[in-house]
This record gives sequence, structure tokens and C-alpha cells, in this order.
Amino acid sequence: MTLSSPLPADDPAAASGSQQGHANHTLTGFVIFLLSESVIFLALFAGYIVFKMSSPVWLPAGVEGLEIRDPLLNTVVLVSSSGVAWLAERCLKRQKLVSFRLWWLLTMAMGSFFVYGQAVEWLHLGFGLGDGIFGSTFYVLTGFHGLHVITGILLMGLMLQRSFRPGNYDKGETGVVAVSLFWHFVDVIWIVLFVLIYVWQRS
Amino acid sequence: MTNLSAASAGPLRPRTLGLVAIALLLDGVASLRMADWSHQWLPLPASAAAPYVDDLFALETGIGTFIFLGCVSVIGWTLLFNRAPKYDMDDGDPIEGNLRLEITWTILPLVIVMLIAWHAIRVSDTLATLGGKVRVTGTAEAMALANSGAESSRSVAAGSFGPIEVIGRQWSWEFVYPNGVRSTELHLPLNLRSSFHLIATDVIHGFFIPAFRLKQDMIPGSVIDYSLIPTRVGRYRLRDSMFSGGYFSSNQTDVVVESEADFQHWLEQAARQPLKPGYNEARRLYEKRLAEGDRGWATVPPAPPPLVHVSTNPAAVHVS
Amino acid sequence: MSSSVSFDPRVLKTPQPVPGAPDNWKRFFSFNTDAKVIGIQYIATALFYLLVGGVLAMIMRGELITPAADLVDPSVYNGLYTMHGTVMLFLFLFPILNGFNNLLIPPMIGAPDMAFPRLNAAAFWLFPVFGVILMASFLVPGGPSGSGWWAYPPQSIQNPLGHFINGQFLWILAVALSGISSIMGAINFVTTIIRMRAPGMGWFRLPIFCWTAMAAQTIQLVGLPVLTAGAVLLLFDLSFGTSFYRPEGGGDPMLYQHFFWFYSHPAVYVMVLPVFGIFSELFPVYARKPLFGYKVVAIASFGITVLSLIVWVHHMFYSGTPQWMRNLFMVTTMLIAVPTGIKVFAWIATLWRGKLRLTTAMLFCLGGLVNFIFAGITGVMLATVPVDIHVGNTYFVVGHFHTVIFSTITFGIYAGIYHWFPKFTGRMTYEGLGKLHFGLTFVGAQLNFIPMHWAGLMGMPRRVASYDPEFAFANVLASLGAFLLGVAMIPFILNIVSSWARGPKAPPNPWQAIGLEWLLPSPPPAENFEDDVPTVISGPYGYGLGKPLVENEAHYVARALEA
Repeated sequence: MTLSSPLPADDPAAASGSQQGHANHTLTGFVIFLLSESVIFLALFAGYIVFKMSSPVWLPAGVEGLEIRDPLLNTVVLVSSSGVAWLAERCLKRQKLVSFRLWWLLTMAMGSFFVYGQAVEWLHLGFGLGDGIFGSTFYVLTGFHGLHVITGILLMGLMLQRSFRPGNYDKGETGVVAVSLFWHFVDVIWIVLFVLIYVWQRS
Repeated sequence: MTNLSAASAGPLRPRTLGLVAIALLLDGVASLRMADWSHQWLPLPASAAAPYVDDLFALETGIGTFIFLGCVSVIGWTLLFNRAPKYDMDDGDPIEGNLRLEITWTILPLVIVMLIAWHAIRVSDTLATLGGKVRVTGTAEAMALANSGAESSRSVAAGSFGPIEVIGRQWSWEFVYPNGVRSTELHLPLNLRSSFHLIATDVIHGFFIPAFRLKQDMIPGSVIDYSLIPTRVGRYRLRDSMFSGGYFSSNQTDVVVESEADFQHWLEQAARQPLKPGYNEARRLYEKRLAEGDRGWATVPPAPPPLVHVSTNPAAVHVS
Repeated sequence: MSSSVSFDPRVLKTPQPVPGAPDNWKRFFSFNTDAKVIGIQYIATALFYLLVGGVLAMIMRGELITPAADLVDPSVYNGLYTMHGTVMLFLFLFPILNGFNNLLIPPMIGAPDMAFPRLNAAAFWLFPVFGVILMASFLVPGGPSGSGWWAYPPQSIQNPLGHFINGQFLWILAVALSGISSIMGAINFVTTIIRMRAPGMGWFRLPIFCWTAMAAQTIQLVGLPVLTAGAVLLLFDLSFGTSFYRPEGGGDPMLYQHFFWFYSHPAVYVMVLPVFGIFSELFPVYARKPLFGYKVVAIASFGITVLSLIVWVHHMFYSGTPQWMRNLFMVTTMLIAVPTGIKVFAWIATLWRGKLRLTTAMLFCLGGLVNFIFAGITGVMLATVPVDIHVGNTYFVVGHFHTVIFSTITFGIYAGIYHWFPKFTGRMTYEGLGKLHFGLTFVGAQLNFIPMHWAGLMGMPRRVASYDPEFAFANVLASLGAFLLGVAMIPFILNIVSSWARGPKAPPNPWQAIGLEWLLPSPPPAENFEDDVPTVISGPYGYGLGKPLVENEAHYVARALEA
């Protein structure tokens, strides 16, 4: 839905001219950004897996492992918020501005719930950032992801505020499409993180 | 304009062929001479690995010279004979490509580099210098592992000596022999495979003996097994090859290769010496710096010199 | 053109002051969104840092002219070489090549500007910010980072003075900002090339410079995030007490090396690919022939991109890498010789039976090509595991990569500057000074870098402040070469400054080159072709083929002459 086919085509008609809408550029650029951003997470995941498999020590002294029940609830909320964001986007495409705002707000609320849940978990853990390789990887990975969630919520807030501008969507809704893409991205990253950190605990 | 296709793709005239043949012959002769000469650009070979490395290097020098001279000759030819005279605004022959030629210069380099790689893999297998690696959390654990009976599991093959513990610090070398002798210069028996446990206590160091053509990093948090065979009596330089901070360039010592009898004699003599701090160039420079008002940028202070039976002689002359 | 003549209003928007016109130099110091202004901003700032890095290099060579560490303290030498490398890579080469991208990509593809002009300007203005941060590290207590541009832990996280703000901290910050700026740039360049090409400009009508820019920026997008991840973890270890690279907490310093080289080896291709592009653009112009095997040369760029991402372990052959991994990465590394060889042979074939015009730009291309063939051969030697075990981390490597980074890449950059200077400033440079610049640079480079190979073969480690006396001869030669390179900057700067101020006016197409950018006035108006974008009807480099590049070519040529 985004990248125009970048395949080699010597057909003159296929080459795009400068007359094409600017919105398309934005989405192309944004998808390229997301692909690039996902590589940071891939690198961090790879690092985590290497540490988990090869480190001579893993859990800090006195730490048994991670509680999985509350994070699981958090995960369910965050992942289902992707569906809610999709509903919001669909409403916007059908010009139903009010229901778009409602669904969009719900997405933001679910995202905020996730951040709150993470914060509560962080506060009740028996180890810190400096406690060996386990503490280091746990806090940096979840923290870096959390930063993305917060960014996503802020961007959604911006889009919400813009939806009150008259005629904002006359030229298309690229901003909303991009933010919702970002939100799906953040969710997918979390699923991988959840599996790596919480599900894969026994070595 | 029209005869260019005939010239580029058609049958070559005998004179052109002859010229090309002579050029290739000269190129070949020059390449062989360079390959021969390349041995002199390297230090004296003093380990079993050295001749293999030198021959591989000579092979690559030969092939490289052939390609380099070939390309540069063609470029030189065009510079001599294809220059546009002043005020000549014409274009050259509009040759856009030549499929046969392009396929040739794709396949040929591919074959050459793959043959080199295949040969290099065989050489690496022959040398087999690098052993296993065990992860540890720190120096204490590393030392304990090296000192424990771990050798029994990683067996010391018959006809070999060791294992010698090689300990790298900022900035000193320390060698611990199986009989407990400690020294800051490395003594090795001639023509025996010597095995090592490489340990870095603070940062990464590089165990590099140019005359042996061998190099291995020592990684904090790992004990690395290593082995080599010295093949020439003499005193050679051992250099820290991985940048290790402040006085990195002073972190050098000597390797002394002796006949097995001389080596055993040295070991026995050394065991009777008292332990004393070894000579340490980094320490000397750091104290000089402090005496001169501690100017310069930040550096960690050198670790205390190791207590050893035999210290390096800074005035000793090394072969290479 | 005298001041009494009325100006084409488009010329007033050009990225340089037109004599007699209301002065518009201030735009270079503003948040300007015009790609041509940004391009010149990048190039000018980068050339300033070339001088900074060059001065650092000459102090280092002064230290190394004698075996003992007598000119500066070893700790100072460590800081100098770290900053030399960092400045040259992050403040000279990357920015100047982004400058070329900004200047060349839009006119070459017939676009009015970049896809995201404001993002473009923001990316540029990060450059002075991280430049200042890096320079500021000279002033903090303890001096700048002294751990090399690799910044390998645990050495880089030792922090001897224990301050929170230290040279290493600022270094990581600067490198991270540079990464963010490069990512912003990469998104922009890739989007622009994908979506803003002129009508008729299919992929196989795209100039090679755009192909190589695309290939290089793809590497940025895939590789840089990995370096960023590695650098962030390094920062946490340095400043916040984590254990990623500390063995005591269970971390592993080797992981950093993987993160670092996954980007930093391909980074060489990020720099060399655009220079391959410059070579591919210039050889046809000055040999008056089509580029030999255009399609293969274009595709080979992406061959290099793909291979560059799977070779990084060749920097770690002596780091305890198991033998199977050494063999694997030796093979992938050697494979890079194939696409690179294709390009080299194509350039040589382009020269064959041409009508060579030895302008300054052409001389730099030829010199760069010869140097690159040499560097390619030493590169294959370095890829060979047993040879690399001996010469790795010695001056052989220093000689090799300076032959790539200076004697090839910087030569290509000089060639590009001499070639496109008339186009973007509207002024011709002086050929005499240019040739003097080339002569001094070529001789200086050989004198500087060839003896380094020999010192390395004899076993001189890199990064040393002092060395054994047997290496003195090679080092004296290298130092003399380095000082000669310093001297070579004088005619260059003189040429650039005086030509821009009062050089002869440049016609739209001084080199009789074929390409969309040469159908524009010199300097081009702010929006390039504006609404009158030509339709491309044939491939680039049609020298001697007699086919027009665009529909109605005479119209564009006449329009460019009028302006």
C-alpha cells in the first residue's frame, strides 16, 4: 500500500514524475524509516540472544526470574490496541470523524495503560540496571521499547489535535496512516520482546 | 566509426596478437620477480607458520602485480595513444559494451579469488594454531581455570611444551611456565609445539610475534588456547597489537627461542632466581610524566610490574 | 554579464551571490531548505574539517618521524589519532558526500528539490552541532577520547578520571548524532530517487552516480542502526554502570566488535560507492565515450551493497573467531573483488580508444583509479586469513585503508569538485593550479602510504606513538609524504576561493557533457527545471551515439544559455 514498485522498469510511463503527490513521498519515506528503525531492534534482539546463550552468568544473585502474569495482561492490551487503531483508521477513511476520534482515543488509553503497567513492574523488581548482564539487557530493551510506545502516544495526540482543524483531511490522511503504521510496528516489536524476555526464561 | 566493431570483437590481427603476447610475457616475468622479491619485505621466518604465510603472500603479490601492471599498462597506453589533440572536440568510438569481455572479467576474478581462498583454508588447517575458548567472568576465574587441571581435558599432545600462561596487562607481559617460573620475556624451546593459555586482565591485548607471522587477541572474560612451533633460534620482538590505551606502544617484549637443552637449562636457572619486579617501560614513562607535572590527556596508571624470576633486558638486541 | 543587465529572476535564487545582485550569501548561514544551498553548506563545512583532520594528521606524523615518543605525550598521541580518524570519517567524508548527493541527485533526475526539504535542512544542521560537540571534547578535563575510532571496550569504558562528561562520552554523543543525521539524509535520498525521477527516466536511464548513491544509502539504512545500538550500549556501560561489554557482569567485549563492524565495514562502501559513481560519470565525459557496460556497472553497485553486509568478521580474524567463521567470511570478502573488478575493468574499457582530455578532474580520476587497483590488491591480501593474521592491526592495514580512503575516495571527491564546480557556482576553476594540486597530492599520497605497507609487513603495529628503530626509514618517508599533502592543500584552497570570487564565468555545459544537470544554467535556478521538466528519451553517456538525451533538447540548451 505504500512503496511504489521500485523494480527496474525501462518503460518511460512507469517512471514517476515530480508531479506526483507529496503525500506519497511522506509515506514512502516513513516506511523506509520504519524498516531502518526495525534494524536497531533486530540488533538488540540478536545481542540479547547471544548473551542469553553464552554468558557465564545470567540472573543476578537472589533473583529467581520474572513474573509473567501482569506483563501478559499488558501484552494483550497493547496488542489489541493495534486492532482498535485499525478501526479508527477505517472510520477516518469513511469520513466518520467523531468515531475516528473515539477509537483513536481508546488506542491512546490502551497504550498509556501499557506504559503504566511497565512502570509499575519496573518499580517492583528486585534488581537494577547495574545488576549484571540480565539487569542491563532487561532495562535497556524494555526501556527502549517503552520510549517508542510513549512516542507513539504523543504522535497520536498530535494527530487527534490536528483532526479538529477544518479541512485537515482534504488532501488525504497520511499522518494518521503513518502513525498507525508506527503503532503496529511498536506492537510487533513488543511481541518479540515478550517472547524473548518473559516466555524464554529457562536456559 | 563503423570498423570499430571489427576491431573490438572481430578476429585479431597477428601483429596485435604478437604485441599482446609480448606484453603478457613481460608482465608475467615482472610478476614472478615481484613474488620472489616479496620474501624480503617480511621479517626472518622463525616459526612453522611463517613459510606458509610467506608463500601465500608471495603468491598474492605475484597475481596482484600481474593484474596491477596489466591494468596500468592499458591505462598508460590510452594516455599515450588515445589523447585528444588540443581543440579536437570529437567523440571517441561509441563502444557501449562487449558481452563476451564482460563475462570474462566477471568469471576470471571469481575463479582467481576462490582458488586463493581454497588455498588459504588449507594453509589455516595446516597451521591449526587457534584452540578453544572458555568464557569466564573475570581475571580471578581465568587464572583459576588456567591453573587447574584443565590441561588434562584439553590435552597437551606428545612432543609439545606447555601450557604457558600468557598474561596481558596495561602495560606489561607476564609468562608463567608449567614449573611455576615467571618471566616478562618469553622463552620457547626450538622445534617443539608450545601451547599457551592467553589471558587479558583489563582490556584487549594482542599477542603478536612478527617473526612467527602469528597474532591472537587476548580478550578479557575469555581464556583462549593457542599453540605454535618456533623453528629458528634467536631473539624476536613480541608486540601488543591490539590498542590498549595510554602506553600501548611501550607494551613490547622479547621472545627468546633456544634449543631444547638450553631452554631446560634456562628454566632450571630461572626457578632459582628470587622474584622481583620486572623491567617496565610504561612505568618508567608514567613516572617521568608525573615528575614533569602530569601534563597530557587522561590515562589509567600502569598496573604494578609483575613479580618475576626473569625480567626483560631492555638493551638486548632482537633479530626482528 | 554586467550589473546593468537585468537578471533572470531565477538566477537570483541560485545558491551563490551573483555579482551586482542583492547579496544573498546569508542564505548559507540560515535554515535554508534548498538542496543546492544545503549541498554547498555540507561541502564547505566538510572541507573545513578536512583541514582540521589534516592538521591532526601532521602533528601525528611529526611525532612519528622519530622512533621515540618525544613530540607529544603518548596519551596525547592516542587522542590525536582517535580524533583524526573520527574527524575524517564523520566530519569530512560522510558530510562531503552528502553534499554531493544534495547538489547532484535532484538535477540529475530532473527533480526540483529533495523529497523532504525541511528534513534535509535539519539533517544538515545536526552536522555543525555534532562537529562542535566533538571539537568540545578537546576542552573537557582529560582530553578527547583516546580509544581509537573503533572505541573497543573495555578500553573505551575505562574513564580514568571518572567524570560523567568526558571525552569518550562526547565522542559517543557526536557519533550517535552523526548517525541520526545520516539516517535522515538516507531516507531523503532514497525517497527522492525512487519517486521523483523525470518522465522517461527508468531505472536503466538513471546516471550511475544516482545508482551508487542509492546503493550507498541502502547500506546506511541497514547498517547504521546496528552501530547506533552498539554505541548506545557502550554509552550505558560507560556512564550508567551496565555490563554489556564488561566480563565481570557476564557481558562480552566481542559483541561490540560485531555491532561495530557490521556497520563500519560497509561504511567504507558508503564512502567509496559514490566515488565509483563520480568515476563512472567523469570517465565518459573526458574520454568522450559511453560508459562501458552501463547496466552491469549499475547492478554491480547493488552487488557490492549486498556483499558488504556479510563480510564484517574479516576485521576479527585474530580476535578468537573460530576457524569455520574465518573461512566463511574470507570467502564472502573475496567475492567483493568480483563486482568491484567489473567496475574497474569497465572504466579501463571506457578509456580504451577514447579521446582523452586530461583536465584536472580527469587527472584525479585516473590517479584515483590507479590507486584503487593497488588498494584492491592489498585488500584481497587482507582478506586472506593467514596473511591477515600477520598483517592485521599493523601499518599494512593503515597503508591499505588510506590508499582507499584518501588516494581513491578523496581523489574522487577532488575530481567531483573540479568537474561540477562550474555548474554549481557559475565559475570556472584555474587548470594550472588544479594540475599543481593534483601533482603534489599524487606524489604526496604515494610517499605517505606506500612505505606504511612495508612497515606493516615488517611488523609495526598501528596506533603506536613510538616504535622500534628498524621502522624509522619507512616512517620518515611517510611523514615527508604527509607534509607534502599538507602543502598540496594550498593551491587547492587558493583555486577554490579565487575561482569562486572572480573566476571566469562558466557556460551551462563547459565540458560538453551529457546529463540533465548540464541542460540547466550554471548555476541552476533554485527549482532546477521548475515546471518544464524534460522527458528523457535515451540512456546516459551517449557520447558519439548522436542520440539526444531528452525530447526537444535544443529548447533546454537554448534556455540554459539565456539565463
